[in-house]
Amino acid sequence: MTTSAVLSKLGVSDPSVATDLLFIETDRFNGPLDLLLHLVRIQDIDIFDIPIARITGQFLAAIEQLEEKGLDEAGEFLEMAASLVHIKAGMLLPKPADDEDFDPRAELVSRLMEYELVREIASRLRIAENDRCHRFGKGYFPPRPKPRVADAPLDVTWEAVFKAALRTDPPKEPRRHRMTPRSVALKDKVKLIVGTMRKVRRIEFSKLVAPWKQRTHGVMTLLAGLELGRRRIVSLKQRKPFSPLWIYRGENLNGNGLERESRSRKQGSPGLQAPRGIE
Amino acid sequence: MRNAAVVEAILFASDAPLTADEIACAEEALDEDAVEAALAVLKAEYDESGRAFELRKVADGVQLMTRPEFAPCLERFDAVAPPSRLSGPALEALAIVAYRQPVSRVEIDYVRGVNSTGVVRTLLDRELIRVVGRGEGVGRPVLYGTSSKFMEHFGFASMDDLPRPEELPFVLRERPPLRESTTPSDPEAGE
Repeated sequence: MTTSAVLSKLGVSDPSVATDLLFIETDRFNGPLDLLLHLVRIQDIDIFDIPIARITGQFLAAIEQLEEKGLDEAGEFLEMAASLVHIKAGMLLPKPADDEDFDPRAELVSRLMEYELVREIASRLRIAENDRCHRFGKGYFPPRPKPRVADAPLDVTWEAVFKAALRTDPPKEPRRHRMTPRSVALKDKVKLIVGTMRKVRRIEFSKLVAPWKQRTHGVMTLLAGLELGRRRIVSLKQRKPFSPLWIYRGENLNGNGLERESRSRKQGSPGLQAPRGIE
Repeated sequence: MRNAAVVEAILFASDAPLTADEIACAEEALDEDAVEAALAVLKAEYDESGRAFELRKVADGVQLMTRPEFAPCLERFDAVAPPSRLSGPALEALAIVAYRQPVSRVEIDYVRGVNSTGVVRTLLDRELIRVVGRGEGVGRPVLYGTSSKFMEHFGFASMDDLPRPEELPFVLRERPPLRESTTPSDPEAGE
């Protein structure tokens, strides 16, 4: 796309317009809107009645030098040039029947006005910044950009890495705990033993366990028996390993041993005193 | 009197603006009202005795700052961090964020007519803007707003210190929301 070609298509090839072209340093502008606004303002153009053809010609002339630069920068200017041409084309077409006020320039105008507002705000911010720059707080340090990981120097020896690796603890394997809820309450077994002891003088352990098949009943009954034995509510007797285990009445059976047990449990302390061994 | 001294000590040691309730955490005897009273005492004291620094309201807090007339002297010292100024494009983008927040990068691009990716990243790195959420629409774009560093950078006591749109030569407060289509907005809306 050459400027002259576009200009001729727009019907602005006549010399009077061509000499109207301005010399513009595109480097100075923060983008196409900035440039466009500059063109409008320096020529004192009514922003609501922009002569699109003239402005387009000036705009294209101004950005011609951009073509030597990278597409990155030129792209936005070229896009604006394209939409200027598009607007001009829209103005040549008849207006839509349902909208007499339709102006293809409207969006551009509102963008230009908003951009001008932004520029005004930016200049006020600049004033505020300048004022702030003359006041020093005790520790006003501009935030330093964080160093990127890629920028960190990599001057580490293999030995250092090896030593560091040795210093670190091996990752602990997550411990697995198996929790099985007690389906049988110790309390029930205590009641069972105490109740039995009130009826009979002594009973063999396996008789107490017999009605239940699950092992846990045996375990809980034994624990209950040991606990009661420790409190001398019962006494346990076994002549030799693996021989029948007998449970006898203990000296505290009709005493307050049970009450003391329940109280101590509420307080959360385990036994009352050290057991003197199970007979 | 002790309250004023405690508050002064905290302000002296702090390198960032502090709010009254932050200062009040320092001692049992202090509450927000006591801090405010102490601040008033200090401010009057500094102004009357002509100290080189003054108590300034910054970013919803207060901070001790040197008076502007000493800036030329301070700038000669390497030990004093030189103030950093923003580039023109960065100021433009910041102005858009300040007035349109929460705003997406696409909207910043549209208003400036220029791709603002780099500028937005700079502002984020300097913590002048921050991500405040995600917008509706395609890709749920990240939305930006200003941070308290923004107020610190420009020395604004609060966001009310921003120049109000009605003070500005053009009034575009009620800009129609950015539309996907190219439907032109009403050019008369600005008047």
